[in-house]
Amino acid sequence: MSAGSAIARRTLAESRVRDACFAAFFLLFAFANPVGYRHTYPTLAERLAFARSFGTNKAVELFYGVPRDLISVGGFTAWRFGGFAAILTAVWGLLAGVRALRAEEDAGRQELVLAAAVSRRTAYLAAVAALAGGCVLMWLAIFVGLAATRLSAGGSAYLALVTVSPAAVFAGVGSLASQLAPTRRIALELGSAALAAAYLLRVVADLSGGLGALRWVTPLGWPEELRAFANPRPAVLLLPALTTAVLVTTAGTIAARRDVGSAILRGRDRAEPNRRFLSSPTALAFRLGRGSLAAWLVGIGLFAAIAGILSTSFTTADISENLREQLSKLGGANITTPAGAIGFYFLLFILAISLYACAQVATVRREEADQQLETLFALPVGRRRWLLARLGLAAAGAAALALTAALLSWAGAASQNAHVSFWRLLEAGVNCLPTTLLFVGLAALAFALLPRAATGIAYGLVTLAFVWDLFGSLLGAPKWLLDATPFQRIGLVPSQPFRAADAAAMLAVAVVSALAGVQLFARRDLAGT
Amino acid sequence: MTQPAIRAEGLTKRYGSTLALDALELTVAPGEVYGFLGPNGAGKTTTIRLLLGLHRPTSGRAELFGLDAWRAAVTAHRRVAYVAGEPYLWPSLTSAETFEYLANLHGSVDGEYRKLLVERFELDVDKKVRALSKGNRQKVQLVAAFATRAELLILDEPTSGLDPLMEVAFRETVREAKDRGQTVFLSSHILSEVEALCDRVGILRQGHLVDEGTLAELRHLASQTIDVVFEGDAPELDGLTGVTVERTGPGELRFEVSGSPQRLLETLVRYPIVSLTSREPSLEEIFLHHYDGGDGRVGG
Repeated sequence: MSAGSAIARRTLAESRVRDACFAAFFLLFAFANPVGYRHTYPTLAERLAFARSFGTNKAVELFYGVPRDLISVGGFTAWRFGGFAAILTAVWGLLAGVRALRAEEDAGRQELVLAAAVSRRTAYLAAVAALAGGCVLMWLAIFVGLAATRLSAGGSAYLALVTVSPAAVFAGVGSLASQLAPTRRIALELGSAALAAAYLLRVVADLSGGLGALRWVTPLGWPEELRAFANPRPAVLLLPALTTAVLVTTAGTIAARRDVGSAILRGRDRAEPNRRFLSSPTALAFRLGRGSLAAWLVGIGLFAAIAGILSTSFTTADISENLREQLSKLGGANITTPAGAIGFYFLLFILAISLYACAQVATVRREEADQQLETLFALPVGRRRWLLARLGLAAAGAAALALTAALLSWAGAASQNAHVSFWRLLEAGVNCLPTTLLFVGLAALAFALLPRAATGIAYGLVTLAFVWDLFGSLLGAPKWLLDATPFQRIGLVPSQPFRAADAAAMLAVAVVSALAGVQLFARRDLAGT
Repeated sequence: MTQPAIRAEGLTKRYGSTLALDALELTVAPGEVYGFLGPNGAGKTTTIRLLLGLHRPTSGRAELFGLDAWRAAVTAHRRVAYVAGEPYLWPSLTSAETFEYLANLHGSVDGEYRKLLVERFELDVDKKVRALSKGNRQKVQLVAAFATRAELLILDEPTSGLDPLMEVAFRETVREAKDRGQTVFLSSHILSEVEALCDRVGILRQGHLVDEGTLAELRHLASQTIDVVFEGDAPELDGLTGVTVERTGPGELRFEVSGSPQRLLETLVRYPIVSLTSREPSLEEIFLHHYDGGDGRVGG
């Protein structure tokens, strides 16, 4: 198996940066929750009050699932960390699965591997072994993060296993999608659709009274049924284990039979010419990106509508002033009014739209790495105008997403007769832009200065800023250090006033860094892979 | 006074500690077909990237039609068409859509000629680029570039993926461009192609232009080969200055002559000769002479 272990090691090495980032994130995330809970709710009385207000709150269940025990540190962690982190480990699994089993082939390297004395079976099993290694790494990161907070070792190991189980399942989904789809991108899109469906099923199961049984059909519902730190049901682990085995075996069977470079779903290779959106590089970028923009619009729109509908589920009845203050540390806002709840969700829309903006800059960088820019700039196309137009296109996409979030959250709230002003929600939409544009500007600067690292820097900045916003306050960091993240400087419209000075400052930084990026890009050499 | 299509003055490019191009001096006149030869890594693509303003010179300057290749790139590119060495295009577009897009960006295209080229290169224009082989993607680039009728064509190893039939089509197309007065800058390491097409040739080695001139001029500098078959045994003919002798058969000698063959011929008339063939050095021999000679290393 020396060839197999070489492939497995290579696969792990290819993704080491991303794996390290995810592992560090999971470790910190796992660590921060128990610590934050102990810090914020030191007494039983406070924990009871917290459990009363959150135990039945639909809007929070959207992310974290149904809580089983909010009085103990372990129970809180299983809910607040486990419920949310399960979605994130699934994302990691999907990315890792597609990277190991389609990206290599997409780049034409798989032919080289199989031209050596390596059977398809060995190559496939080696990639799966690397994925399993990645899962173990994630498990270890979570376990260490939890155990470091004085939670019991056994309980921590079990919760870590519960949280990593979606990673294994979705690595399997990624492996299967890689057999179905001819390119990395399409495989990721297929896998993302499966992930979205799994998440939506969990949301329906958790939020609707009578459909709780639906939790059993979604891999994201299983972690809830595993009930870490409440009354654990390890037998449920058979579900993710079996599902993963079936997915991996099916994918392996297909991989062993199909031609290298081919896929089950072969896209059309021929088409009548479509002459629309070919007039300029910006027009073509719109044409090539509109499918992904549409998916983002649907995703954010759906989420905004649900957020609007759920905005009335918080009641002020039994929340003390003191607890309300503590709550604001969790989400940054008073979420007991519809406007407050929506304001809280907008923080997440801002995160999502910022990630969309990163994806746009990542696309620009990929065009450079693929040397399409070399063909482009050998034509009479100016670099400054080109990059400005592309940043403008990213900003326009972000604006469309923000507007969609505003309109649909309003529509959702209106359907429940929640009194949230339309204009205030429109303002909430506009309020998304300074932060997202700030990240566009910074990403553009990274693209100009460090092209090869730009994509990682862009995503890294957004993630770091958000994680710091989430955990910094939980960990009791001083205000000046918290204020370093743009997410702390957002007025959570509609419940809080729009913070004009901060918004203006972010916009100024955005414009200056974008212009500097354009100027520096025009002066540097094009950089290949 | 007409501006040269391409001019490089002391053109130098460093990447970190690597000197990729060292003080290149180059002039290509309008209407000329210029062959740019060199092994992999000699600096051919670097030169082209500097000429197109994709990379910035460390020192020296490059001009296209008198316009600075870096500062006035956009203006210069209206008169230029380029074929990249690696045919990266937009995978989800068909060839027809790619032509449309590139023509929109370039601003000018000869539609009739493009149709002719599509037929000549046997392209299926409704096929998506991602479904094309490397050679076919190369043909898409070639058709798009030649159809612009640009004054200057910069071609970076344009035939690396083409089959022999398409190589013939390529040569025909370059000759048509030359007949129309277009300038062609052809980077290549296919010597027969350069020999067949180019008026002048420059040979690049480790970032230096080691030789340049018309084929006749290059040949003049290199040695020529004379094969002689004698009646009976070949005589001993060592010791002639500027001539090396090699025994290629019982009655056969091969002479490598640098400079004039006058002295050798005067010597040979004294012996009974069956046949004498004289051959000019091929470009390959000139090329190998440059890479084999000097520090004794073969480039590549």
